[in-house]
Amino acid sequence: MKWNAATLCLAAGAAILFFAGVSDRAQSLPVGHATDFTSNQYFEPPNERLVKMRLSGAEALPLPGGLLDIRQLRVETFALDGKTQMVVSAPQCNYSPFDGVANSAGHMELQSGDGKIHVQGEGFLWRQTGSSLTISNHVRTLIDMPGAML
Amino acid sequence: MNKIIFLLTFLIFGFCGLAVAQMNAPLSLPAAKAPAKPKPPTEIDSDSADFDLNAHQAIYRNHVVVTDPKVRLTCEWMLVDLPQGGEHLNHVVAATNVVVDFTDAKGETNHVTAAQAVYDYKVVGVVTNETVTFTGNPIVEMPTMTIYSEPLVWDRGANKYHFTEPKMIPKDTGTNGPAQKLF
Repeated sequence: MKWNAATLCLAAGAAILFFAGVSDRAQSLPVGHATDFTSNQYFEPPNERLVKMRLSGAEALPLPGGLLDIRQLRVETFALDGKTQMVVSAPQCNYSPFDGVANSAGHMELQSGDGKIHVQGEGFLWRQTGSSLTISNHVRTLIDMPGAML
Repeated sequence: MNKIIFLLTFLIFGFCGLAVAQMNAPLSLPAAKAPAKPKPPTEIDSDSADFDLNAHQAIYRNHVVVTDPKVRLTCEWMLVDLPQGGEHLNHVVAATNVVVDFTDAKGETNHVTAAQAVYDYKVVGVVTNETVTFTGNPIVEMPTMTIYSEPLVWDRGANKYHFTEPKMIPKDTGTNGPAQKLF
């Protein structure tokens, strides 16, 4: 089967559109050195157009093993109605885009979308798939709502 | 008659004098109500913590200290259900060496120890239930007595304890007076 010029152009156009679509839907983290980047993760269908998680940073430097050294990390998670559920921020962390794990020995902060819960600590491990966060040291939580335990 | 006129004149001038004195006095308005101080946030400190952001739960581990304006709690492990949208906290479990110190409505210090404490907040219709249930050899120490009860339920709404087969040991307060009533 021979490919004429028109077919090739169509195929190339379709490929460009396909990859553009893929990169828009999936994690599109920088491969090399990057500044002021943002990567969106979307909800599963039928809400595939709604952002579930946004990861951004001021700078990303590639590390051996496919890791990224991210400066001024900010992770925001959203509910289906678009409201911010939580914001995690850290001055620095190592991020593995393949398994969605971020960790750091440094300071981190977490704030709920409504601002009523604020957490800070030193050293953390963030697992994107299970939406779990472990803070290793000096955890301090401030809860500003009625009935805070006692 | 003269006496009556004198008395009336005295009363009239006396009343007027009082009225003038009141008018000259600085106008004293009822003191404006100071705005209610917002309740400081509850603080939880611990060595480490795990947050499950799908289940909206936090688990605090090792040297857990909860500091509230009126209450201080320490334990080694604590689970908190984190409500969404700024609702009321409704379920907290504190475990291992639980110690709670607070001052009751009478201004008396209460020192409670137990293996576990469970805080629950529920609204059923118009009734609000807010309790802390202590289990695992709970003991409450008050200035006048020490009480053992299994379980020990602290009704936060009514600010009362509910005891089950309590064992009460009065403390020697040195007054030799009759034992004070509990509530």
